Amino acid sequence: MAVLTVDGIDCYYGSVRVLENVCLSVEERDFVGVLGPNGSGKTTLLRSISRTLKPHRGVIFLNDADIYALKSVEVAKQMAVVPQDNVIAFNFTALDIVLMGRNPHLSRFQMESEKDIAIARKTMELTNTWHLAERPLNELSGGERQRVIIARALAQEPKVLLLDEPTVHLDINNQLEIMDLLKDLCIRRELIVLAVFHDFNLAARYCDSAILLNDGKIISMGNLNAVLTSENIRKVFQVDAVVKKHPITNSLYIIPISMPKPSLSRKLSVHLICGAGTGTTLMKILAEEGYNVTAGVLNVLDTDYETAQLLKIPVTSEAPFSPITEETYKVNLEMMSKASAVVITAVPFGYANLQNLEAAKEALERGIPTFVIEEVPIEQRDFTKGKAEKHLTELKSKGAIFVKNQNELLSLLDILEDKLNMTKELSSKIPGHFKSETNSCEVDEVDGSKSSNF
Amino acid sequence: MSTNGVETTYFRRVSRWKLLLIILTVALVLTIIISLNVGFAQIPFSTILQILAKRIPFLGSLVGSSNIPYSAERIILEIRMPRILAGALVGAALSAAGVVYQGIFKNPMADPYVLGVSAGAAVGASLAIVFGIGFTLFGVNTMPILAFAGSLVAVFIVYNISRVGSRVPVTTLLLSGIAVSIFLSAIVAILQVIAGKKLHAVVFWLMGGFSGVEWKDVWAILPLIFIGTVIIYFFARDLNILSLGEETAQNLGVDVEKVKKVLLIFGSLVTAAAVSISGLIGFIGLMIPHITRIMIGPDHRVLLPTSIIVGASFLVICDAVARVIVSPVELPVGVITALSGGPFFIYLLRKKKESYGV
Repeated sequence: MAVLTVDGIDCYYGSVRVLENVCLSVEERDFVGVLGPNGSGKTTLLRSISRTLKPHRGVIFLNDADIYALKSVEVAKQMAVVPQDNVIAFNFTALDIVLMGRNPHLSRFQMESEKDIAIARKTMELTNTWHLAERPLNELSGGERQRVIIARALAQEPKVLLLDEPTVHLDINNQLEIMDLLKDLCIRRELIVLAVFHDFNLAARYCDSAILLNDGKIISMGNLNAVLTSENIRKVFQVDAVVKKHPITNSLYIIPISMPKPSLSRKLSVHLICGAGTGTTLMKILAEEGYNVTAGVLNVLDTDYETAQLLKIPVTSEAPFSPITEETYKVNLEMMSKASAVVITAVPFGYANLQNLEAAKEALERGIPTFVIEEVPIEQRDFTKGKAEKHLTELKSKGAIFVKNQNELLSLLDILEDKLNMTKELSSKIPGHFKSETNSCEVDEVDGSKSSNF
Repeated sequence: MSTNGVETTYFRRVSRWKLLLIILTVALVLTIIISLNVGFAQIPFSTILQILAKRIPFLGSLVGSSNIPYSAERIILEIRMPRILAGALVGAALSAAGVVYQGIFKNPMADPYVLGVSAGAAVGASLAIVFGIGFTLFGVNTMPILAFAGSLVAVFIVYNISRVGSRVPVTTLLLSGIAVSIFLSAIVAILQVIAGKKLHAVVFWLMGGFSGVEWKDVWAILPLIFIGTVIIYFFARDLNILSLGEETAQNLGVDVEKVKKVLLIFGSLVTAAAVSISGLIGFIGLMIPHITRIMIGPDHRVLLPTSIIVGASFLVICDAVARVIVSPVELPVGVITALSGGPFFIYLLRKKKESYGV
């Protein structure tokens, strides 16, 4: 049976509608993540469930009772909230704060009894904050403070726990500690946990189900696998993302891939000789910068191959774990010849990919500028008993340009691009005209002080 | 067992609070008795004790009263006693209201006058003085009544300006309090300009003091202040929880809007009652809550009663000093409160800066 049911609520701030026809129901032991971009209504949903923002339309039931018909003290006995910011006006100690969680269970004239202290102690031990009991809350670190606030919420002995971005501003160790704690509470204490998250991967790792909000409406809801799809993420965030199972945690994880900037488009095309992940970042940067990127030869299943697929970069590929065949070699060379530059990353060379260097040599001979990134010395990544090293030395003697890192490469490519544009302009105009144009430019500069349009 | 240390400390703290309150109450009573000895007329302390003992049932008959001069008894019981008790009541009321307003507004600058009580009372009192509106009505001095009415009207206006439906946002409340106060102060300024010979009386009232306070004034404000502070005390724990922010307080089961309304009404009521007989005494309502908070911590369940007793004692002492420091002239008591309390507060602030958690 659903403990918490939200039935078709609309919420407004003034005349602005923030939630529209939101329906959901949560059962015992559910760990639900509320996800969505900024301004999608996540916090508003939490506020309306926590009886803070009354919806204009629709009802919220807590164990079959309309929460807005209940007294706040009745709701507080069953539902606790961990807000996002926890600024406390006065210098209360951590224990004082946790004991305030006993408020709904105390009558107006009752002081906290030993039983209340015992409950506070139990929740503080659970959140690993008992040793901080006598410290002022405002002197604690962000992670400690968050755990004290969770202890306060637990001291209410609630059935439902609402949290607004419980891990924001925390270090990763604190993030994991809090998430582990919440998961544990959910399983062992039969608590319903409904939490807003910014971090999809953290949510994906711990939540049982998710609610994806956009523009005040539920886009998708239910099992994580159904909610966290790249289509949904594109729909909500306008970002391409990869959704995969993590090999170690076996939970979903999401890698956002930013879209190529449409304003940039370059004439230069670059062919990458890479592999084993050495080309991944470069591919992404070059694609984003607007270069026409190709790559090869790459083995299918290679990290760089997968990245190229994702970025829709044309690749000459070879079967997994196989050496390059004569045929593939030719296809690759063909691809290289169409490029305006060839870049060799600091990829390890073995007998299976050695031919790529031969291809590079041939391309260089055909007059295509070749760049070699030497981030790792070749001795450390040459598994061909010096053959690869020999090829590289030859490339160098034939005029290949060796660069220290990616950034140096990018600046050289920029220069190459400018040169290419210039030659294209040159070829489209007669040389004399070009010269006179430069002259007029100089004249303009001299007259700059007089001319108003400069 | 060392693991029980925290619990033991917690409960020991509660019993320490009780002890502290008893000690402070005794100190207040002693302060009142001692300050009966302070004044222009020299009356021996033994005589004062005799006069007091005579008033105590059963014990009184045992005390010989033949050697007490009639004038001394009159001075002690009819002049000094009501005046001192009024000082204690006003000090208590202003401190209580200060605690309440600082708690609700979570603002260290909040004092009992933020909602326009002072300005409203000033208008009422100035009207009474300048126009001498039926200076006595049915044998009752109308000035305190007009001051009381003026302050309640001012708070009522401020409250209704800020109200949004059934909610009262504290920031709006604070700002409209300032706006209304400024407006009413302008009216007081106009009244001062046209006051003529009565200007002195208006200025003196604005500075605050207890000269001329009679028993009937004490009886008039005693029930208001007593009931008001008792009701405020019922909401001490809610004030603690309100310091977490209104939304959180709501989530912890506090009916925030109701609590705020009750506290604002009774905070204003006790302030208005105090101001009606004492005029505008500054500093107490702002500083006493801060001073006690620095000394005993932020828990309103002990902060409120402690502030009440400390505020009462402090004002009684200040009034005693004001009576004699430049004798035979009396200084306005507000001057003494500010002169003595200001430096002391700064000293505490410097000394315990780290625990000043506002």
